[in-house]
Formats: sequence, C-alpha cells, structure tokens
Amino acid sequence: MAKFKLFSEESNRSPLSRLWKKFKANHPALVGLWIFIALTLLALFAPLISPYSINQQHADALLLPPSWHDAGDVRFILGTDDLGRDILSRLMNGATFTFGLSIIAALITTVLGVIIGSLAGMSKGIRSSFFNHLLDITLSIPSLLLAIIIIAILGPGLLNTVWAIILALLPQYVHSIRNLVVEELSKDYISAFRLDGASKWKILVRGVFPNIYEHIVVIFTMALSTAILDIAALGFLKLGAQPPTTEWGAILAENLGLIYLAPWTVGLPGVLLFIAVLSTNLVGDGLRQVLKDRKAD
Amino acid sequence: MRILLLGTLCTLLLGCIDAPNVKLNEKNQGLVYCAEANPMTFNPQVTTTGSTIDLIANQLYDRLISIDPDTAEFKPELAESWGVSDDGTTITFYLRKGVQFHHTDYFTPSREMTADDVVFSFDRLFNVYNPYHFVGDATYPYFQSVGLDQLIQEIIKVDDYTVQFKLFNAESSFLSNLATDFAVITSKEYADILAAAENKSQFDNKPIGTGPYKYKQYLRDNLVRYHKNETYWKHPVAMSQLVFDITTNNTSRIAKMLTKECDVTAHPSASQLAVLSKRADITVDKAENLNIGYWAFNTEKEPFDNSLVRKALAHSVDFNKILQAVFYGNGQVAKSYLPPASWAFSEQESMPTYNPTLARKYLDMAGYEDGFEMTIWAMPVSRIYNPNARKMAELIQSDLKQIGVTAKIVEYEWNTFIERIGKHEHDSVLLGWVADTPDPDNFFSPLLSCTATFSDKNPANWCNPEFDLLLTKALDTTDIEERKAFYAQAQAMIIDQLPLVPIAHGMRFQASSKEVKGIDLKPFGGISLANARKQ
Amino acid sequence: MREYLFRRLSLLLFMLLTLTAFTFSLNYLFPGDVLTNLSGQVNSSYAQSQALADKYQLEENIIVQYGAFLGRIVDGDWGYSLSSGQPVFEHILLLFPATIELCVYALVVAIVLGIPAGVIAAVFHKRWPDKVINSLTLMGFSIPIFWLALLLIMVFCLGLGLFPMSGRIGLLYEIEPYSHFILVDIIAQGFPYGGFAFIDALKHLALPTIVLAMYPTTVLIRFTRDSMLNVLEQNYIKTARAKGLNRRQLILHHALRNALLPVIKQIGLQFSTLLTLAMITEVIFSWPGVGRWLIESIYQRDYPAIQGGLLAVSMFVIFANMFAEFSHTVLNPISRNQAHGKI
Repeated sequence: MAKFKLFSEESNRSPLSRLWKKFKANHPALVGLWIFIALTLLALFAPLISPYSINQQHADALLLPPSWHDAGDVRFILGTDDLGRDILSRLMNGATFTFGLSIIAALITTVLGVIIGSLAGMSKGIRSSFFNHLLDITLSIPSLLLAIIIIAILGPGLLNTVWAIILALLPQYVHSIRNLVVEELSKDYISAFRLDGASKWKILVRGVFPNIYEHIVVIFTMALSTAILDIAALGFLKLGAQPPTTEWGAILAENLGLIYLAPWTVGLPGVLLFIAVLSTNLVGDGLRQVLKDRKAD
Repeated sequence: MRILLLGTLCTLLLGCIDAPNVKLNEKNQGLVYCAEANPMTFNPQVTTTGSTIDLIANQLYDRLISIDPDTAEFKPELAESWGVSDDGTTITFYLRKGVQFHHTDYFTPSREMTADDVVFSFDRLFNVYNPYHFVGDATYPYFQSVGLDQLIQEIIKVDDYTVQFKLFNAESSFLSNLATDFAVITSKEYADILAAAENKSQFDNKPIGTGPYKYKQYLRDNLVRYHKNETYWKHPVAMSQLVFDITTNNTSRIAKMLTKECDVTAHPSASQLAVLSKRADITVDKAENLNIGYWAFNTEKEPFDNSLVRKALAHSVDFNKILQAVFYGNGQVAKSYLPPASWAFSEQESMPTYNPTLARKYLDMAGYEDGFEMTIWAMPVSRIYNPNARKMAELIQSDLKQIGVTAKIVEYEWNTFIERIGKHEHDSVLLGWVADTPDPDNFFSPLLSCTATFSDKNPANWCNPEFDLLLTKALDTTDIEERKAFYAQAQAMIIDQLPLVPIAHGMRFQASSKEVKGIDLKPFGGISLANARKQ
Repeated sequence: MREYLFRRLSLLLFMLLTLTAFTFSLNYLFPGDVLTNLSGQVNSSYAQSQALADKYQLEENIIVQYGAFLGRIVDGDWGYSLSSGQPVFEHILLLFPATIELCVYALVVAIVLGIPAGVIAAVFHKRWPDKVINSLTLMGFSIPIFWLALLLIMVFCLGLGLFPMSGRIGLLYEIEPYSHFILVDIIAQGFPYGGFAFIDALKHLALPTIVLAMYPTTVLIRFTRDSMLNVLEQNYIKTARAKGLNRRQLILHHALRNALLPVIKQIGLQFSTLLTLAMITEVIFSWPGVGRWLIESIYQRDYPAIQGGLLAVSMFVIFANMFAEFSHTVLNPISRNQAHGKI
C-alpha cells in the first residue's frame, strides 16, 4: 500500500518486533501461544510437580471419580483409574511423552529437513530430478503408514515411534523447504548477490535463510501438530508407547475398557490432546497470517 | 458443530425411510453371538481352546453321550443306550437310527450316520494308519493328554448301529471323557470323498457334523456364519441363522450389546456388568463354573526350575487386590487348585499369602538377592477364569518390582499365543482351565501330567512322576472316597511344589438381550445354542 | 500431449520400481527368516524349504531375487499370510474394496462440504462467515481422529442408539459379494430384504464416513479458501468487476473455475492422508478393510501381510495421485508445460 508516512519510526523497528506486534493483535493466536508455553513447561517439569508417581497404585482407591464428585477424594483431584493410579499425575506426565517428545521429534526433523531441503533446493539438473522423484515416492506412502512400517521393522516402543515419526515427517518437510529455497533463489536480489561473487554457502546462509526462517517456524508448527497426532495415534493403536508409559494416546487406549464406568478416564486425555494440537495450530496459523499480511504490505 | 449438523441430517434422512427399529423379516430370524476370538479350527477333536470349542462343538456336532449338568448323570445323545461289561473293559454303544449329517453346498450325504462314522471318528485319533491321522499336525491334545490313546485297545463295529470299545484296563473317567465336547462324531463318507479328491485339509476347515447348525461362511476377524440344520434329529431349530461376530475387544462386545448389534455376548468383562444389568432390555446371567485361573511358571527354565523362586514369586503378589481389581468381586480366591464346587476339592492350609518379606527371604535362599528379569505372558482374551489378564499382569508386575524382579508383559494374538505357550517360549503365563466334565481328573491330566507336557498342553512344563502316579492311582479305582484321597494328595503336591499358583475361580457370565431365550449356562464345557430362540 | 504422457508414464514406472525395491528390501529388514518373510510359509521339512528357496531364487544374487520378486508381484503371487495361511493377494482383493468404498464416500462428503464452505469463506473474507468457518476448520484440524470417533460412538451409538458401531452391514443380512462394494452389491441384487439391507448399510456407513471426512474437509476448506482469495486478487477479476459484473456472476463464472483447478489436484493428493486415517477409522469401527487388516498383521508380526498391504496401499496412492494430476492437466493446459517431475 502506498501510503504517505510522515514519521518513519514504525518501519525502523526490527522485523522480529514488528512480527510480534502483529502477532499480539491476534488474540486467539496469543492464547494459543500461552497454552503452548504452559504445556512446554509442564512437559519439562511434570515429574517434579505431579502429586504422585505415575505407577503408584493405591489399593484403597480404585476408580475414584474426580474430587468434586460426591464419591471423589481430595487426594486425587481428577480421580483414579482401575489400578488406583492418580489420573492427574498420569496426565501431567503424559505431557512429557506426548508433547515433549513431539517437540523433540519436530526439532530433529527441522534440522534434518533444513539440511536436506536446502541441498535439494541448491542442486540442479539430473540430481535434482532424481531427488524429486524419490521424494514423490516417499510422499505417496502415507506418513502414518510409513511410521507403522518402520515400527514393524524396529518393533513397538516409544523411542522407535519417535524415530518413525521423524522419518515419516521428513519427506513433507524436505519438500516444503526445497520449495522455499527454490523460490527464494529465483529472486532478483539473490541473483545480484550471486553476481557479486557470493559462494553457494554464503548465498544460503546470508541470502536465503534470513528470509525463510519465519516460514520454517510455520512448517515447524505444522510438523509438531502432525507429530503429536501421530504419536498419540500410534499409542492408541498400541504400536507406540507401551503401558504403563503415560503417553496420552496410550492412556486413552488403556482406559477404553472403562469408558462406561469412568468416562473421564477416556475423555480427559482426549481433551488434552485436542488442546495441545489446537494451541500449536493457533500459533502456526497466527504466524502464517502475520507473514501473509506482511507480504501484502 | 459441523458433525452435529451432519449427524442430524443423516438421521433425518434415514429416519424418514424407516422406523427406528429395523427388524429383519420373520423368515430371516437369526441370532448374533459376539465371540471373543477366531476359531482355530472347525473340528473340536484337534483343539482344547475354550474360545474355539464354544463356537464349534455344540453347534456343529453331537457326541455319543453327554452329561446332565444338574444331575451329573450320563445322557444318551447319538448313542441311544450303552452297556459296560463287568470288568469295565468293554463298552458297547447302541446308536440312534435316522441321524442325518449336514446337507451343505459342498457335501450331500447319501446315508445316515452309522457305526462306520463312529469308528472312523475315534480311529482317526488313535490309529496312525488312519488316512486322516496326520492331517493337520496330528495332535489331538485332549485325548493325548488324558491318555486315551494308551487306554483304547480296539474299536469294533459290531453291526451298523452297534460299536464296541475295548480297553486295556478299566478307567473311571472313560465315559466322562467320551462325553466331553471333543469326542464328536464326524462323517466318514465326507472324509472318503475328500480323500479321493486329495483335499483332506478341508475336513477340519469346512465341517460336516450332525449338530443343530451347519457351516456356511467364515471370514477371519469378522464372522462365522451357520445356517440351521433342517434335518436335526433332536428337535427343530428355531433360529434360521447363527452368526458369530468376532469381536476380540471386551469393550466393543459390551458396546455391541448396547447398540443391539449382538444378541448374546461371551464373557462380558466383570467391570462392565453393572452397566449391562442397568439396562432393562438386557439380561445378565450368572452361574457357578468349574474353572481355575492360574499363574504358571515354565519349570524347565532357569530360575523357575527352583521351587524356592516359585515360592518367592507366589508370596510376592497380593492376590486379594487382584480379585478386587480384575474380578470386581465376581470371583473366589483359590483355596486349592480345584474349585470348591468339585467333589474332590480339599482346602489347602499352606496357600501362599501376600508377604513380600518372606518372598525376599526365599529369593535370598535361592541365591537371587539381586532379583532377575522375567516375562509374564498375558492372554489377550477374556475368559471366565481371567477376565483381564493384561491388567492382572500389570498388578503382578508392580508387586514383583518390590522384591526386585523386573517383569516384562508379553502379548500375542490368542491363537499365536497358545501356539507359542505350547512351545514353552514363556517364563510365566497367566492362563486357566475350564472343566469339560465334572470329573476332577479333567483338571489334572490334561494340564499337569507328563503326557500333557509331551502334547504341548502343560503350561508349567512340569513333569513329575510322583504326581503322575497319584493321578493313575486315582483313575484305576472307582471308589469315590479313595479317589478323593488321591486327589487331595495331588492338590497338596501342587501347592507344595507350585508349578503354578492358583489365583481364582471365576463366575460364568453371559449377557443376552431380553428376547433371546433358551441359552443355558452349564457349569462345565462350551456353550450350546441349539435351543436358542427369540420371542 | 504425447510427450507429456510419455513423461508421466516413465515417471510412474520409476516410482513403481522404487516402491517394489523398497518392499523387497523389507524382507531383509524385518526380523526373522528371509524365506519366511517372503513366502509366508513356515517350512517344516528340509526338502520343502529347498523347494521354496528355489522358487524364490534365494541362492542367486540380490538382483535376480528382486527380478523374481517382481515377477511374482505381477503374477499375483504375494506369498501367504503367516496368521491365516491364506494367500495375501486374496486377502487384499477381498478387503481393499471396503477401504476404497469408505475413502470414496468420505472424499465425496469432503468435497460436497469443503468446497462450498471454502468458497463462502473466501467470498465473505474477514467477515463473520469466514471467521466461523475458519475457527471450525481449525478445530476440525486439531481433533485427534480416534477421539472424535469415540465421541461420536458415545453420543450416537451408545447414547442415542441411532447408528450401529461396527462393520459394514448387519451380520444377519447375507449379501453375495460380487464387486465387494457393499452398496453396489445391494443395488445389483435388487435391494434384498425389502430394502432394509440397503438402509442398514447406509447406517453403518454414516459414522465412519463422517469421521474419515473430517480431516480432508478441513484441508479442502482451507485450500479452496486460499485459492479463491488468490484468484479474486487477480487482475482479470478486477477488470471484470470494473466492467460492472455483479458479484454473483463474477464468482460463479469467472473466479470459481480458475480457483477450483488447483483444488482438483489437491483432492487427488488427499488419498494418501485418507488411507492413513482410514486405518484408524477401520480399527475403531471394525470396518473389514485393508487398514484394519494391516494393523492386525503388525500385532501378529505377519510380515508377508504387512508387505502386501504396504505395496497395495502405496500403489493405490501413486495411481490416485497420477490420476488427479492427469485430470488436472486435461482441464488446465498450462500445467502441461511444467518442468520435469514437479508435483
């Protein structure tokens, strides 16, 4: 928009702080960010702050409803499951496994994805073509199926799930990064930079990355929400985290047998999953909106 | 919001077309029974797996005689009458006339059941020269484990409707073994046709029997479909179709009862009985049952070959807690190996009790101060004797941790599970046994004898000649008091040696919708749906 | 056009080759005996295992083995399932139609709901319909599918008793499987059981379809919305508006066609996600499809079955993608001249 501006303070701010200002104006995204931070903290400190250990069985308190219910007990705020384990503690620790591990998986994917994606984006000719076809094939195998195959090779388990999810997310990630890099490379200022005699490496680090890192964050949030859903789905299918690990999907599957007796044991992990994914998506969406608006400006 | 909208839309759309209760037309009246596992085979002779027997034995086949569940007396079935010689070694069966085998699209019988069929059915089990003996894996676990192959000398066809069994010696449990679900009569004519067509393996997969229903279709993990046998000799069959909906998940079975997708369900889990009995349109039946749930150790493997270790493990687990958390109070703590309802039951003073300190002491004595690692195999299906083995295993796991033993829980699909247990791949296993006859020998010989070890049916892998001798002595006499005394010794020996720890005796439950009638719960053996009808 | 087709076909061939090579290598990656993984037969005798090794040419080098493997794939000899003892290919033939059926209906629902919603959101950009649709989409995007399925079952099956919760049709209805597409079969047999079977099948379809449609619907809404917004900013639209066309004409005649072109391609790409989600849906609703069978096979470590399932599903996805790309090209000549191998 060509507007006449008398004072130019606005535009003198760093891009990051401008981004933040815009982001702040988007309230749902801000709420999402707070929840996101809260969950991250929970994932880090859950073992320290949860009232009981996850496998502590209370033989005198089987299947207690939440404490506000008549039959509830103050000791167990969200009640207990059929083995007398405190549901609140289990759910809090679940954040570490579902949310925390998803973040780690998404981070590792980011590092690998950026490296491979930029290499792919920089390459040309037959190598690029071969690479792209290979990518297309891996993209045609559904991510969860790929994860399931990897688990079939490695065997079920939480750590294997993380590896599987990283590998399953990677093709999509590489694909997006490669597109970003290619798009950026085709811009005039890069050509100018190249004409200045900048090396490939320099172009990548000085030219491309500063202009795409925000997009990488957006892709990261997308990868994260997929990672959460996949870890939980695999846990639910009993292919991922094995009980008594308190991964939310696994808790849900484990308590499925109690769905009539104690619906809260199934409902709560689902709600948490939903909140975790929603907050991640809100942040990602807000960020994308801001980036889009900036591009339009 | 979107879902709700869509949901209401669909409902409206469908609601206009039909009334809320879609009733099948009268001609197609059928019964859906939610079963907990795939059948392993369609021939009861070759398996002892209860979930399979439930599906096939009483629905497709008949036996020569049966046992009345109320009076415990023998009743005529395919044999109209029978006589036992004075020395007890010759038993003559006089067969019923006019019994038809199933007419199906893959086999049409040309004759009625005769002595040939009876001779063939038993000959297959014992005679290595029978063309069908080696079909499948040639294992007839029940008959081998109770030693019938060592007992029967000869089976003679006297005339078309008379069969004679000659035994090497008299045995008190012979007739009750012939009354079990495994001793079914199969068709020799069908066998001959298949043998001529070089297609013997079909014999156990596409069954032909004389029972109230005949085989129609089997889709693995999905369903087993039977049609009614129009020519059933005993009585007219009310249901035109019998479908077993194979639902391995406990919760799904309950849910299907609630949504009326099932008319009857096997083994509703104890935790959910309350939900079912609250419903006005569902009846929950409860009956005492002869069974035992146990925790068996692989006594051939280190360190479980050491009875001190077995004692330590037995003392480390709080079985009362298990009864609360797994059986929800719908079971009895085992006071011996046999259930109290059995006439040979003798209460054991020295049943292991929860005592971690003592358990640790035993471990120290056995030289395992630092504990060890082991596996607990938890069966994936819910049976009377153990409604939720997974949960039980988790409870045991956390108890074992206290004495320094690290346990890993192993699960497989039910049929694979049984196969692998047969190969003794496990360290310990949570399993159980439901009696096939009221005869107490049924608890001992098929499970803990040496012959059971050889036929891969002994989950404790325990072969003790002294114990076997007790069992043989108990079988050699017909005096009840004498037999009681021998079985009391046998029970004491089990508790002393602990090849397995008896945990509990479950109650038999069955949930059915109110309109289904005529399904009786027996204290032993598989279910029978012959008399099922809808009202 | 001919060159385009040739390029696509060679690409397809390349993709299939790589895929089969990957599947073949799984035989060596999976735990257990290679021969058992390949054939699904637990060899009991030495002679039998020799015969099998011969058939699978295990003595030869890896290239020859792969060649033999390819030959068998083409012949439809996909080995035997370890758990059922039946040929894997037969299982797939029997089960895949159920999965495809479910996916197709879900996709139809997604298209019918998603595209209009996306268009509406774009047309009312930054006004309340846009905001409502956007937040619903975001929620639909974030809800774990298994949890959604459980919620629906709780409400509609157990609470209200409106729908059955498992299978494709009430088990007492005997429908001869000709095409294995249940609705097609029922119609082909002239609505047996007085039409009740058809209604019953629809009822069984309702919830799984909704659950499965959730994710693709949200994706299509977002995609249509973005694409539409993009088109509405184009100069030719501005020109049209300047020429005095009203809003309705503008959107229906000018914007929609161009906005929907990329959407068509997106629909084809949905199949990959759909099949993944179908696996979970099938498990929860006991839908007798290939996804449930595949998961079951993993529980039972039935490696020949896992391989077969993977191959079938991925090939299907590749063909679906190709088809979408192809129809996109037919409708949009510009994309024919695109560079090699860009999807």
